[in-house]
Formats: sequence, structure tokens, C-alpha cells
Amino acid sequence: MIDIIMTAIGYSSSIALAAAGITLIYMATGTFNFAHASMTAWGFYIVFAFHKVFFKGLGNPYMYFPIAMLFSGMLGVISYYFINRWLLKKGADMTTLMMSTLGIDLVFFAFINMFADFLTYNYKINARLIVLKMEDIILGKIAGFPLRAITLVSIIMVIAIVAILQYILNRTKFGIALRMTIENPSLAAILGINPDLIYLASWFIGGALAGLGGAILSLVYSGTPSIGNVVIVPEFAGSIVGGLYSIFGSLLGGYLIGMSEYIVINLIGTYVSRNLVVYEPLIPLIAMAVTLLVYPRGLGGIDWSKVWAKLRGKKES
Amino acid sequence: MQDIINIIFNPLVLNILVNMAIFLIVTLSLNLEVGFAGIPQFGRMLAVVVGAIGAGAIAGRFMAFYYGLPWGDEYVDETLNFKIVSQINDHLVNSPFQSIMMLIIALAIAAALGGIIGYLASYPAIRLREAYLGITLLAFADAAQTIGKYYDPLAGGTEGIVVPDVFRFIGTGQIRFLGSTLIIFFIGFLVYLFLQSLARSPFGRALRAMRDQELAAKVYGKDIVKLRAQALIIGGAIAAIGGALWTLYTGSFKALTYNRVTWTFWPWAFMMLGGTGNNLGIVLGTLVFSTVRSLIYAYKTELTTYIPINPNWLEYLLIGLVIILIAMFRPQGILPEKPELPIPKKKIESIKASLSKGG
Repeated sequence: MIDIIMTAIGYSSSIALAAAGITLIYMATGTFNFAHASMTAWGFYIVFAFHKVFFKGLGNPYMYFPIAMLFSGMLGVISYYFINRWLLKKGADMTTLMMSTLGIDLVFFAFINMFADFLTYNYKINARLIVLKMEDIILGKIAGFPLRAITLVSIIMVIAIVAILQYILNRTKFGIALRMTIENPSLAAILGINPDLIYLASWFIGGALAGLGGAILSLVYSGTPSIGNVVIVPEFAGSIVGGLYSIFGSLLGGYLIGMSEYIVINLIGTYVSRNLVVYEPLIPLIAMAVTLLVYPRGLGGIDWSKVWAKLRGKKES
Repeated sequence: MQDIINIIFNPLVLNILVNMAIFLIVTLSLNLEVGFAGIPQFGRMLAVVVGAIGAGAIAGRFMAFYYGLPWGDEYVDETLNFKIVSQINDHLVNSPFQSIMMLIIALAIAAALGGIIGYLASYPAIRLREAYLGITLLAFADAAQTIGKYYDPLAGGTEGIVVPDVFRFIGTGQIRFLGSTLIIFFIGFLVYLFLQSLARSPFGRALRAMRDQELAAKVYGKDIVKLRAQALIIGGAIAAIGGALWTLYTGSFKALTYNRVTWTFWPWAFMMLGGTGNNLGIVLGTLVFSTVRSLIYAYKTELTTYIPINPNWLEYLLIGLVIILIAMFRPQGILPEKPELPIPKKKIESIKASLSKGG
């Protein structure tokens, strides 16, 4: 069970970070980004390509995490600069924005497949089914199970991201400008804030978070070029459960979805029936449906101060 | 004359025609929900796959029951399924009347199931808005596909099932495929006429009023909840008919082959190219886009000699670029939506003229 929980932590951290990226882009530009699927997959493939192909076995996979982030962030910048900016200027509606990112996703997906083909032909390596799990550093043993570094690293990364985002959003001029542009773009423009720059930054950060999610995923899952299409549904679910208007809510939602998916399916597989394990993709969907039925605006829509007040009130009485 | 026959019987031409006809039905149903009712239906695949299961597994079982063949779990068993179906086919091939009745029953079952799916989808559609709703519908479509893929007693699971061939009475070989394609085209034409009359009816105008300004529609006494549910039920039923026809045409059902790119995103692309909210535009968009798609599909291997890229990825690249370019430069489509006139334009002009004379 402990090994399942350790893997679940890595997996759900990846989902949570990517979900936070989706939420950030949605908050800033109102674009629900389908291309997150391919951005995650690119993060995955960058780590694989650098660690296994370009610098064969030099050091450890973690060295290439920043490159994965940077690359997917650049994909976000490209998406914004060439397509999204244009559409936002024309005042396109939500479905047009969504569909344009779907087109971007298909293009990126085509490129990732070409990249996999390129690796296969030029380096004589199977780049269509990649396993990096074995390359991970083993830090020690917990109850007989090896403790992989990814479990700790993923938690540290999420905490670091939360701290950095919290600092940027609340303590820097840029963060205040970002929040202001999200709240009221025209008023922000009147005060001399360039919304273009803000949108660009949120696409970059959103893409980088997707890349980081993919990089973490590469040490948890074995993957194919279409890994993005598999994880995009839990990522969306995490973002939706989080409420779409709160980055921290989406991190929470990502953890809820990822944990429930990984742990519940293993519990079912162990205690109910092995045959039910194939229904794994249904779990995030059920978790999402239940959350939305109870809180139609997601976890981010809950007023936590009221919840605290209620809990405290109960204690006093 | 011989040339024309040769062209028509060319498998590529048949492939283009049948793809066009099936996607016409699915895209028209999508247009009702997205173009008229303004519901972000990113789960089109749900109704399509349910319709396919309805025609393939449920109507197939009904046929087995009707002819006194085993119709329980044996029907979807991978070793028995094709034997049972070939016995059903022996009955069907000799009786055009029974074949047509079975076709109608299969489509009715599919439409009923699609309608139920639409009704169920209206439950979240009333409570959730925009992106929440779109992603919820997308997720439910994926859920349906997962169940179809792994729950063997439903429709054979990953192995899939063979489906009774209700078109066999037309003839054998290419004649069967041509005949069935024509039937599907005819059904597509009926769907177009139905949706076009719907668009011109008070119901269609109420839907558009709801899409453009929900509050105003409410003020005029329109029941938003009911309108959304009705649009989803009709759209779901039509999409299910599309899925059912595809299953009956190919003669097999495999949940694995129904994915969100083909059955949700492509219809969206066809719709955007043609013109969201304009049925005639949808026909045009589907015609152009599905022909291009079929041609890429057919000439994949020839393309590799010119471009050193695996043509599978070329297809994704092209479709992606087309979607981006439409979204950027012509989001209203080839034929933009225009107001549907309840009576012919000439009549309006004459009324106008008589009014100005009288006044």
C-alpha cells in the first residue's frame, strides 16, 4: 500500500501542476487550453530525449526538468503570440478560443510524433514506448519498498510553486498587475498596465507548469506520444474541480483527482476484483461529477473563511 | 457510361461519399446544439457511440430473438457472435421487407437511446455554464467509451462484435455499399430538411433567442430549462442515428474505434468551416472537409514519397492548421449565419409595399 501511495503522490502532483497551468491561462485570457495535453507530453519527451538520447545516462533525469519547463513554456508563448493574441484582439467567443487551442494541440501532437520518429530512426531507440522509472534515484527504503526521489521531489516542487506563485501574486508589482488584468482588463490598461505582457506571461507560466507536470510524469508512468490525450482528462477534471478561478483550488483539485484515481483503483483491484482495474479512467470523472453536483463552482468557489467559522462555532458550542 | 460506373464503384469515391453522409448527420445535430442553442457540446461522441451500441448490440439482439436464435450473453461472445449474425444475415438477405423493418427498428432504438442521453445531459446543462459544461460533457463521452471498451457483455468489449447486415438485400459487393450509401444520404437529406424546418419554426427562433440573450428569452416567457433539454434530446437522437448508420454500414462495432478526435472534434471543425448556425453552411463544410480528409487518408502512402514525414502525422498537422486558420480568419465559416425568414422574402416585400401604399 505504501508504494501505491508514494506513486500516487508523484502522479497527482503532476496532474495538480498541469491543472494549475490550465486554470492560470483560463483566468488570464478566458481560453480553456486543450493544447495542455501536448504541452505535458512535450515535457515528458524532453526529459526522455535529453536523459536517454542526447546525454546518454549522464547524471540524473532531474537535471533536465528546467529544460522541459522552458520548452513547454515556449510552446505556450508561441500559442499566445501567433494565435491567441490575435483572437483576443478580435474579441472571439469562448468556443472559438477553445477550438483554436484544439487546433494547436493537434499541431503539437503531430510534431511530437515526428520527434519520436526522428529519435527512433536516428538513434535506433524505441521512442514510442518509453520507461524512465528505472532511472530514478532511490533514496532509501520505507517498509521494504524503495523510496524513489520523485515522491519527495514532486512534493517539494508543488510547495515551491505554491510559495513562488503566492509571492509573485501578492508581493510583486507584476503579480498585482496580473491580478488586476484578470479582474478588469480595461481598467488595468487605463492605469498603464500592458495586458499583452500579462497574457504572455500567464501563457508562459501555464505552459511551463504543463511541462513540469509532464517531466514529473515521466518518472511515474511509462509513456507513448499520445500520453497527453490520456492525462488531459484528469488535468481538466482537476482544474474544473478546483473551480477555474483559483490556482490553489486547482492544485487541490488536481490532488483530489489524482489521488482518488490512483488509490481507489488500487483498492478496488486488491479488495474487490482485478477485472475492474480497467475502469480507471472513470474515477476522475466520477470525482468531478460528484464535486460539481455539490459545489457547482468547484472547490475554489467555497468560501473557506465561512467553513472555518462554522467549524469554530461548532467547537465553541 | 462505363466510365461513370467505374468512378462510382471506385472504393475511394464510395468512402468519400459515405463519410460525407455520416458526418453530415452528426455535424447537423451538433449545429442544432451549438449553433442554435449555444450549448458547448464537446461530448458529441457520447450520443454517437450510444447510438452505435443501440443499433449494433441491442437491435442485433432483438433480431436474434426474433429469428429464435440465442440472444443473451452468447450474442456478444467472440466465438459465437459471427455465427449468430451470419444466421441472421441468411434470413435478412432473402427478405427486403424484413431488412427494411429491421433498419427502421435499429434506427428507432438508437434514436431513443440518444434522446435519453440528451435528456441526461440536460441535467448538468442546466446547472453548469460554458467551460464547466463543455468539459463535463467531454468527460462523460470518454466515460461511455471506456465502459463500451471494457464491459464485454454490452458489445463485445475490446474485441467488438459483428453486426447484422440490414443492407445485404440490395446486392453483393460494391452494389451493397453504393446502395447503403444512397440510403444514408437520403436519411441525411431528411435530417437536413427536418432541422431546416426546425430552424424556421418558432422553436428555432426561441433557441436562438436563448443563445443570444437568455434573460430576454426568459422575459418573453420562454422556459430555458425546457428549451435546453429539448435541443439536447433532438440533437442526441440525431447523432445516435448517425452512429447507428455507421455501425450498420461497416457491419461491425468496436468501442475502441470511437474516439473524441473523430466523433467530436472533426464535426466541430466541419461545423466551424461551414458556418456555425447555418444548416446549408454545414452541408458545404462537411462536403469540403470530409472530402479532403478522405483524400489525405487514401493518398497517404503516395504523399510520403514527396514529404519525408509519416502521413499519419501530416493528417493531424493539416487538420490542426485548418482549425487554427478558420478560428483566426473566418470564425463565422464559409456561409455565415443569416436570419431565417419565417415566410418567403417576396411575400415580405409585397406586404411592405402594400403597407407603405396604405400608410
